[in-house]
Amino acid sequence: MDVRFINPFVESVLAFFDKMMGIQVERRAPGLAREATRPAEITGLIGIGGPIRGAVALGFPAGTALALASKMTGVESKVVDDATCDAVAEAVNIVAGGAKAKLVTEDQTPANLSLPSVVRGGDYAVVHPKGSIWIEIPFYSDIGPFTVRVTLESGPVGGGR
Amino acid sequence: MKVLVVDDSLTMRRILRNVLLEMGITDVEEAGDGEEAVAKTARGAYDLALMDWNMPKMLGLDALVAIRARGDKVPIIMVTTEAEKKRVLEALQAGANNYVIKPFDKAQLVAKIRQVTGLG
Repeated sequence: MDVRFINPFVESVLAFFDKMMGIQVERRAPGLAREATRPAEITGLIGIGGPIRGAVALGFPAGTALALASKMTGVESKVVDDATCDAVAEAVNIVAGGAKAKLVTEDQTPANLSLPSVVRGGDYAVVHPKGSIWIEIPFYSDIGPFTVRVTLESGPVGGGR
Repeated sequence: MKVLVVDDSLTMRRILRNVLLEMGITDVEEAGDGEEAVAKTARGAYDLALMDWNMPKMLGLDALVAIRARGDKVPIIMVTTEAEKKRVLEALQAGANNYVIKPFDKAQLVAKIRQVTGLG
């Protein structure tokens, strides 16, 4: 995985949380993501296609997701419900969208994004297909911790594995 | 001032509605896709529309083209994650009054709303 692809996501997270939502965030050191048997309680996921392919996932503990949804909608969220999931979906949509403009190949072909999806509940395992590398970037914020996971590859389909 | 917020995400509509509320704009209506936006602007006069690009049924760009095609000059600001220059040009050439890329700086959005509506 090309680590140059990480910065657009970090910049987009900072722009979304800090400039758009007024939430102070602090990035911690990125590292290789391990397969998780206790994954984040609420994860927003978007697939990336085209010349640069992969996925980005924003993982939130329930408390952070509720606080984020409250901040985004202006209505206090007390339990994880459809509104919380809609907020997480929009958050990953904006973060991935913000990064997309900078995810271009040398011939300036842009990446494409899938529709966002949200996984909730902690009773599942995350398994990385053999050969795929996920980078995990932990963030701490005014509203609690969260993580950004990214896996990307470029070049011909099937290459780089 | 009457504003139409067009976005398929309920959360995004709430974010934009709250920005407008902070500006003192309380007469806000919502549309969840381009088709609904075209229909609502045909029925009522708005002073501003904030338009997402990627929506089901009809894209924001197509809605913009349809609204301009019938001679409606309502100020329209595209508010979208589509950040490529060719997309921005496409929207401006189709008649958008301004363009805001998500994630946006709230102050920047407010400034652009003031600019296109003449709020000063």
